[in-house]
Amino acid sequence: MTDLVITRIFDAPREMVYRAFTDPDQLSAWFGPVGWSVPRDSVDMDVRVGGHQRFTMVNDADPAMTSPANATFVEVIENELLVGEENVAHIPEFGADVLRLRIEFHDEEGGRTRLVLTQSPFPEAMAGDAREGWGSSFTKLDKLLA
Amino acid sequence: MTDRLSVIFAALADPTRRAILARLAEGEATVTELAEPFDISLPAISRHLKVLENAGLISRSRSAQWRSSRLEAEPLREATAWMERYRRFWDDNFARLDAHLKRMQEEGS
Repeated sequence: MTDLVITRIFDAPREMVYRAFTDPDQLSAWFGPVGWSVPRDSVDMDVRVGGHQRFTMVNDADPAMTSPANATFVEVIENELLVGEENVAHIPEFGADVLRLRIEFHDEEGGRTRLVLTQSPFPEAMAGDAREGWGSSFTKLDKLLA
Repeated sequence: MTDRLSVIFAALADPTRRAILARLAEGEATVTELAEPFDISLPAISRHLKVLENAGLISRSRSAQWRSSRLEAEPLREATAWMERYRRFWDDNFARLDAHLKRMQEEGS
């Protein structure tokens, strides 16, 4: 439905990309937008269904600005799939109760990896059939309005 | 789920309603004109229009006979901006992951 879907090819094997998401040392080495860091000691992960993923993004210029993440894994297939859910009901501007993040790791020719990230901001009750085809329609409308 | 953005996204969640918006992006249209491409009744189209109107995505002229609908761009921009924010977040992130994977591979080789 209102999914945000992003596909990216990484020039590294699938196992390696998967590890970048699941190994705390590695996650803290790259995660966060430019200008933000994830301190290693803020990362706490238990990569299995029902396990948690916690870390804090800290603003480099103003370390008082932080953005914590606290998700629960709902699906885990090693080197293939990670699905996490985070309760975001306390963030008013989010406009949703649960943030669901699905990350698929696919083999791509040449020893590369195709990563498909799906961020679904809305409760499952609203998703269903409507989810299909959302992304392309949205892009189309976007273009029409540009 | 009562804030404005949620109402907008809920209205956008239906493929028929998105098609109606895409049609209205080309210009104003009456209910009959909007119903043409779809295999559904006029009352059903009217219900969709009501949802879109409540979300502020369209406005409708008051003339009962030739009630035409027009697209209101602002709520759609709001929704797009919301999506864009997260897209940028991941673009940034993935640029860093790219660099990280390169480093890891250099170290490994």
